[in-house]
Amino acid sequence: MELKVFRSRPGMPGSRYDSFEIDPVPGMTVLAGLFKAQEKDDTLAFRYSCRGAVCGTCAMLINKVPRLACRTQLQALLEGKAPVQLSPYPALEVTVPWDAGKEVLIEPLPHLPVIRDLIVDMSLFFEYYRLIEPVFSPAGPGPERERLMSPAAVKELVPYTNCILCGACFGACPVNARNPHYLGPAALAALYRFCIDPREAGGTSRLRRADTPDGWWGCEFHTNCRRVCPKGVPPNIAIGRARKELKATGRSAGEMGGGR
Amino acid sequence: MGGTITAWDAVIIGGGLTGLRAALQVSRAGLSVAVISKVHPLRSHSVAAQGGMNAALGNVRGEGGAVDSWESHAYDTVKGSDYLADQDAVALMCREAPATVLELEHMGTVWSRLEDGKIAQRPFGGAGFPRTCYAEDRTGHNVLHTLYQQVLGRKIPVFEEFFVTSLVRSGGRCMGCTALEIMTGAVHGFASRATLLATGGFGRIFSRSTNALINTGDGVALALRAGAPLKDMEFVQFHPTTLYGTNILISEAARGEGGILVNRTGERFMERYASHALELAPRDVVARAIEEEIARGNGFDGGYVHLDLRHLGPGRIMERLPGIRQIAMDFAGVDPVEEPIPVQPGQHYSMGGIDVNIGGMSGLSDLYAAGECACISVHGANRLGGNSLLETVVFGRLVADSIVGDLPKIHESAMDTVESAMKETETEIREILGRSGGESPFALIRELEETMFLHFGIFREGQMMQEGLRKIRRLRERSLQVSMTNRDSAVNQALVRYLELEGMLQLAEVVALGALAREESRGSHTRRDHPHRDDRRFLAHTMATIEEGEVAIAYKPVTLGMFKVEERGY
Ligand SMILES: Cc1cc2nc3c(=O)[nH]c(=O)nc-3n(C[C@H](O)[C@H](O)[C@H](O)COP(=O)(O)OP(=O)(O)OC[C@H]3O[C@@H](n4cnc5c(N)ncnc54)[C@H](O)[C@@H]3O)c2cc1C
Ligand code: SF4
Ligand code: FES
Repeated sequence: MELKVFRSRPGMPGSRYDSFEIDPVPGMTVLAGLFKAQEKDDTLAFRYSCRGAVCGTCAMLINKVPRLACRTQLQALLEGKAPVQLSPYPALEVTVPWDAGKEVLIEPLPHLPVIRDLIVDMSLFFEYYRLIEPVFSPAGPGPERERLMSPAAVKELVPYTNCILCGACFGACPVNARNPHYLGPAALAALYRFCIDPREAGGTSRLRRADTPDGWWGCEFHTNCRRVCPKGVPPNIAIGRARKELKATGRSAGEMGGGR
Repeated sequence: MGGTITAWDAVIIGGGLTGLRAALQVSRAGLSVAVISKVHPLRSHSVAAQGGMNAALGNVRGEGGAVDSWESHAYDTVKGSDYLADQDAVALMCREAPATVLELEHMGTVWSRLEDGKIAQRPFGGAGFPRTCYAEDRTGHNVLHTLYQQVLGRKIPVFEEFFVTSLVRSGGRCMGCTALEIMTGAVHGFASRATLLATGGFGRIFSRSTNALINTGDGVALALRAGAPLKDMEFVQFHPTTLYGTNILISEAARGEGGILVNRTGERFMERYASHALELAPRDVVARAIEEEIARGNGFDGGYVHLDLRHLGPGRIMERLPGIRQIAMDFAGVDPVEEPIPVQPGQHYSMGGIDVNIGGMSGLSDLYAAGECACISVHGANRLGGNSLLETVVFGRLVADSIVGDLPKIHESAMDTVESAMKETETEIREILGRSGGESPFALIRELEETMFLHFGIFREGQMMQEGLRKIRRLRERSLQVSMTNRDSAVNQALVRYLELEGMLQLAEVVALGALAREESRGSHTRRDHPHRDDRRFLAHTMATIEEGEVAIAYKPVTLGMFKVEERGY
């Protein structure tokens, strides 16, 4: 089989695709395949760290789906197993010849500037994360012991705290494709996590932080985010609930501003 | 290349739990601090920790309704360490543990809870009480994200994807460091009054490691090269249960929740090795048992045994161990609800590291170390599960406190000294990139890893280790000829791998020499030719330095006091 990999260099115009012949052993992941390719061509660049789908480093566009390279098995891709249907956006258009039965197509995560090959500049993604002020702010100073919390409340939070900030959803969102100001699914899901934390002082008033056309109101519910998320985070649900609560609490700046 | 020089009160190298907790503490004291990390902080290895963090909170009662105490935690830790841990450091860590877990709760960590709303605790190997606090089986992830959020809240500068290439040593002290900005190829200088290494472990010098690929021990090698002694480097923990194939960790939590180990004949073989503690005996005991079963032909083809969770039922597996189930499905195609998980032992933790005193100060003035890269010695010859996350956050804070206390006595660092170090690094990188016709770094890295696992793995023996040492030294010679086709200084991962390899080879030699010299078996260090613990000769820390280009080994006494040294049985 072959890996068909997007290539580009900093300061050099243009890009191309290189093919690397790989002999996949059962269970071999895309990341492992890329390491093999790198041994053949040491200029190939891609990020890696945990290789176990926990650190969020290796999100890229694999066979036109944003996924973690370390969690995606080559064989499963060739066999067309577990296909992911996505609402369309420009990066999903196939612009090069690609034989999905023999080749795995590997491209950088969309909607972020490419630095080299499969490495993108994640600054914008993290800027939006910072913008929602993801800092726990409880009412009053900490008690001597833990703030009590029911297992049920924990269960509500966990789907959101599970986010590893890999950016797959950002690269899968048709709104992000069009609107570079849209905060994106992960940042919104993170904000929602703080809003529903029973220990928080701000509670739902924190929702106002993203009560803008580029925040909660930018979403068009394509739900690509949820479909690509390697951790089962449901940003679409967070967004839907946030909107409902904002509507219930009266005037909403974002809604009135309309979408971009 | 065109790098910059900046000056700081404190520079923290490493953005894992240790580094981030320390950065918060220095920043809270109103001092200038920068964090440097070769990956984005959230990609640090700490994120992978699954099982939890130990603290005698006493939220869950032990056998017969007994209430846990920090003394009991300290006893378990010292016993688990096979008496090689320094008991003053252990006492300090265990005393600080409950406050540390609560502090994280106050910063927002979503710990798993009991029905009464308190933080939940579960049993872990080698512990007399259910003491391990956890956030499902994503504890490291939850705590790291919490600390990162706090660091964002304080707007602490983080130099991401900066690879530290050298410590600047002058006048017998550390004056800062130089770093390669991976994405641009620029070499920068950081002049700091105090420098803290929080660079994590060196597990990746072994093949079959549970560690992140980036755990190459750079900080430990940087310290050694700068003249700071290393301690107890031969003590390497092998985790009993890593997924066959990729060696991704299957946390002890799986056994804590009731998972059992069976060999190919279906026998629950731990009954023969630790009749009382069974699967929850300490890691070294269980790892040796599995390796022994495999060696005796009781393993499955390829060298593994089964970890069976099926009797726990789907509900318990999905609720308590969802991460482990996902790992088994994603990386071995096995659903533990239906099938047992194939597991084998693998390298897991570096007990040894940079020798530091109880304040975190290394043997080189103004250089501090904490976390897995350091050896303050709370783990001795064998670490207990759940004690390492604890160590990172406790000592991240306490060592930062000692830096803050020491800073008034520490001078500014000389910018020109840092500048000449930058020039040296630039020259060195140019030299490496200018080489041609040599081997690639990738093959050498693989050979080193395999050599280490084969010759310095779970069971060690004199002859075998001598042979391993010779191989390491040959690899080191070959490494001087390594060259790469990628000549760019920007985004050159072959270059980064090579810079890592240089340090890995040095550490490998230190591990080898320490293991050869220690003619006894203690904790994780098991010698077939010296099967017993020898307190007369070796109740001592191994100290390694470089003298005239050669690694020199010496010994230093262990701090005892609280608990009597005893035979260790489970
Ligand atoms: C799979 C797994 C599960 C674990 N589970 C548990 C558990 O449940 N409980 C427990 O107590 N312990 C656990 N441990 C151990 C624990 O996770 C680690 O010991 C701990 O997280 C180490 O933290 P640290 O801050 O010291 O280093 P790390 O988190 O490894 O961080 C090191 C930092 O240093 C930086 N760095 C390294 N070299 C350089 C360089 N040259 N230049 C710049 N930056 C550099 C890296 O970028 C990184 O930010 C586990 C370990 C593994 C492998
Ligand atoms: S929500 Fe999911 S896809 Fe998006 S950043 Fe988080 S883990 Fe990645
Ligand atoms: S390398 Fe960590 S998520 Fe893929």
